Amino acid sequence: MAYSDLQQELERDIASIKTAADLRAVRDRYLSRRSGKISVALKDLGSVSPDERRVRGQALNGLKQFAEAQLDAAERALVSAPPADATDVTLPGRTPLVGHRHPLTLLRERVEQIFLRMGFYIAEGPELEDDYHNFEALNMPAEHPARDMQDTLYLASPVPSADGGRAATLLRTHTSGMQIRYMEQHRPPVRLIAPGRVYRRDGLDLTHSPMFTQVEGLVVDDGITLADLKGTLVALAHELFGRDRGTRFRPSFFPYTEPSAELDISCAACGGAGCGMCKGTGWIEVLGSGMVHPAVFEAVGYDPERYTGFAFGVGIERLALLKWGIEDIRLFYENDLRFLEQFPL
Amino acid sequence: MKLPYSWLTELVKVPAGVDAVASALALRGFEVASIDNGVIDFEITANRPDCLSVVGLAREASAAYGLPLALPARTPTSGSTSDAPQLDVTIEDAELCPRYCAQLFELRSSGATPDWMRERLEASDVRSISPVVDVTNYVMLEMGQPTHAFDYSKLRGHALRIRRAAPGERIRTLDGVDRALDPEMLVIADADRAQAIGGVMGGAESEINGATTLMVLESAYFKPASVRRTSRRLAKKTEASTRFERGADVAGAPAAIARAIVLLEQIGAARAVGPTIDRYPFPRTPLALTLRAARIQHLLGVRVPDAEVPARLEPLGFSVSAAAPSGDLRSPTAWTVTVPTYRVDVQREIDLVEEIARHDGYQGLPATFPALTAPQAAPDPRSLRDRLIRHLLTACGMSEAVTFSFIEAAAADAFAHPDGLVRVANPLSEKFAVMRPSLLPGLVDAAAHNRRRQHDHIRLFETGTRFRPAGETRAVAGIWCGAGVEPHWSITSQAADFYDVKGVVETMCRAFGVDPAFEPADVPYLVRGQSARVGAIGLVGQIVPAIAKARGFPPDEPLWGFELDADALGSSGRGDDLRAASLPRFPSIVRDLSVLVDAALPAASVRGTIRTAAPDTLTHVVEFDRYRGKGVPDGRVSLSLRLTFRSAERTLTDAEADAAMTRIFAALADAHGAVRR
Repeated sequence: MAYSDLQQELERDIASIKTAADLRAVRDRYLSRRSGKISVALKDLGSVSPDERRVRGQALNGLKQFAEAQLDAAERALVSAPPADATDVTLPGRTPLVGHRHPLTLLRERVEQIFLRMGFYIAEGPELEDDYHNFEALNMPAEHPARDMQDTLYLASPVPSADGGRAATLLRTHTSGMQIRYMEQHRPPVRLIAPGRVYRRDGLDLTHSPMFTQVEGLVVDDGITLADLKGTLVALAHELFGRDRGTRFRPSFFPYTEPSAELDISCAACGGAGCGMCKGTGWIEVLGSGMVHPAVFEAVGYDPERYTGFAFGVGIERLALLKWGIEDIRLFYENDLRFLEQFPL
Repeated sequence: MKLPYSWLTELVKVPAGVDAVASALALRGFEVASIDNGVIDFEITANRPDCLSVVGLAREASAAYGLPLALPARTPTSGSTSDAPQLDVTIEDAELCPRYCAQLFELRSSGATPDWMRERLEASDVRSISPVVDVTNYVMLEMGQPTHAFDYSKLRGHALRIRRAAPGERIRTLDGVDRALDPEMLVIADADRAQAIGGVMGGAESEINGATTLMVLESAYFKPASVRRTSRRLAKKTEASTRFERGADVAGAPAAIARAIVLLEQIGAARAVGPTIDRYPFPRTPLALTLRAARIQHLLGVRVPDAEVPARLEPLGFSVSAAAPSGDLRSPTAWTVTVPTYRVDVQREIDLVEEIARHDGYQGLPATFPALTAPQAAPDPRSLRDRLIRHLLTACGMSEAVTFSFIEAAAADAFAHPDGLVRVANPLSEKFAVMRPSLLPGLVDAAAHNRRRQHDHIRLFETGTRFRPAGETRAVAGIWCGAGVEPHWSITSQAADFYDVKGVVETMCRAFGVDPAFEPADVPYLVRGQSARVGAIGLVGQIVPAIAKARGFPPDEPLWGFELDADALGSSGRGDDLRAASLPRFPSIVRDLSVLVDAALPAASVRGTIRTAAPDTLTHVVEFDRYRGKGVPDGRVSLSLRLTFRSAERTLTDAEADAAMTRIFAALADAHGAVRR
């Protein structure tokens, strides 16, 4: 056919297209209405015989369609091909550094959120306490054997308290002193948690620390019952450990609660069959609790005949060890970034 | 307290195996520490000294399974002789010793500890010593009542005087230690001197031995607080003191002697001589308590049928009167409950309610939720503030640390307040001897720890309490070493410097709406010339390399830190007082200014002069370049600032801005000798 040269030329030109400008030039060279080679050839058909015009016209129109299709394809290829100065999108971006909260904070805030949803107030108080708020008001007078349960760190000399009350003589062994302070200043209903650091005279080893984080709770109102305590703590355990973990609420002893109770969860390691982790019992102790002792109410001037209440205390370190399978409590205080960065933001 | 299962089953025929018994008692409040080879080790809570005995735990098991408790024999088979050597027993201090019983025994050399007794002692970690000593230990394990044996021949005047120690009195105890006594301590003395420390330990002088022929066995009730105090004062804890300080059974004193008579005769080790001496000057009437049915329901949240009350209490040794109407209208039904003497923990009605609840291990309690009867106040502002601080600092790329509140004196000294440090009276070790005066020493240690573990870029912060003799305050502190901006392939890494840390401090200040002045600081733990006071609320700067080095941080790498008084930051702005400003309606005019000033001139002075000289329309001044080097004379610096002018009422003209700039240049030249570039 007479146009095969033209088609070859067109194909060569299309193959050489590198840029948008090339594309435009080739398109103009063949298809420009006034000067495009194919357009011109079509116009020239007017000077040939009708029969030949039909044959050539068919060929030229075919070539025109071919050119348009090829140029469109070239254009698509041009658009999708990376430009020479393209950004390497696989290189790392500039990530604004975001720090991690400490796992103890993470868990403490989680516990706080659970209780905020249940309508609890969050109380804060001093870490240096006086004997009255740490022990006496909590039904633990001097020489009480229960004081052995929390061997205490004392200050070499008293430190004035912020509220102008009794001077502090010891490092609080629990945050219960804050509950007393709160009750001294407020009438029921009371519904609070008191999170914070507490101190005991325990050596630092795999599972013990002389400093740890506690969240204590207190609810006082008309008609608060042991069943309410059970319901609240089981809800907490389910939130923290999942609904499928078994819970056990059983009798125990604390001087400031009566009846007293401890909450256990089923051992994750053995599923409750008994193993070294749970000392063969199938249960892991999570927290201590009980109904506020009438002597505590008497100390703060609440009528124990009218009001009842419950209190509980949970160690955040202990929760964290159980929840995340951490084997050494000391990791919390070494602040190794490799440890801290494992936890969610 | 170790309980051999075989010993238990002798007293209660429990129809369950050792694991089941352990679980049943755990649900009654006796936590199981371990189960090993048929021996259950229970953790006995401080309120239940009665269960520091096999009989006490057996009584709980009998109540749990509803089975009878068979108490061991306490009636001697042969009567004791009536004529006995003289023994004068006198209680001189009935407050510290309300009851004292004594029994004389003739010892026989033929007796031997039988295997069954030896095995039970060993299962409880008690070593077999001699038949007489073994019996006293056996009685203590069985009944919870400690006894003590004296050699009668060593007691001067054949007397036992229960009195307070005389000033300066001393005793050599069974463990061979010579101990100083004080008049607060109770002793058992002969006519001349102390022969035992009451309830704690016997004396060496009157200890029985192979040559003893006549023995006095003591079984007493000592005041718990006194025993506890003496035991602590002497730093001597014994099996006896542990039981007495928690509270023994005042009725158990003669009972233990009766039991010892039976056992010593049974094994042929000794024979009682004469009657048991029982000094009990002021006998106690058993405690009777009123228990109201409504109170039980009020506390537990579940109704316990009236018939259940005696059924749960009587197996534990309480005697319960028939249910009777009470005077209390709220609780028409009530019982009078008499408390057995061994239940020293039961002192008021609430304790009886616990006994009722404990019966089924709280398993029958429903799980309910306390009604919300009033809206709750927002959390303590400090809690919200600390949360905002953590959000800000983690957003600044700092991770949170938790370090100890007590630290080594050596680490604290450089950070101490002029008033001194708060010291712990009884620290566990020198590492935990003083309360931290600042959060920085703990963070320096944390940085050193991470640096040793090949972390080059460390940013840590902590919120918490710091301690001064005047009281405790809350602070937030941070530490930064390594790169300023995180290393990236596109930039040359640049070490963190003062302005990185200052930027974090400024972000915090802005978040809390405080605008402190930064002034050069001079404190022992920050490098002079590289540190600043942040108004009155804190400090920022480079930690003195020698301090960092002493804690194991490389001294040639700068370590930056800051510490702010968190309480001074105030509470987080909740926007309560905020009135949103309308946005500017007129365009602003921006003018740049470059001046040569003295290199030592603080930028804040330049800014201050500009603000003073400028009209009210100056809304913003910020430095955008500071240059020393080519074209700038020595000792001078080229400072470039960008000024923004805007009026709230109209569009400013260039002429106004130009006039302002002229005044500003003049003021800068005048105040600082500034030369326009």
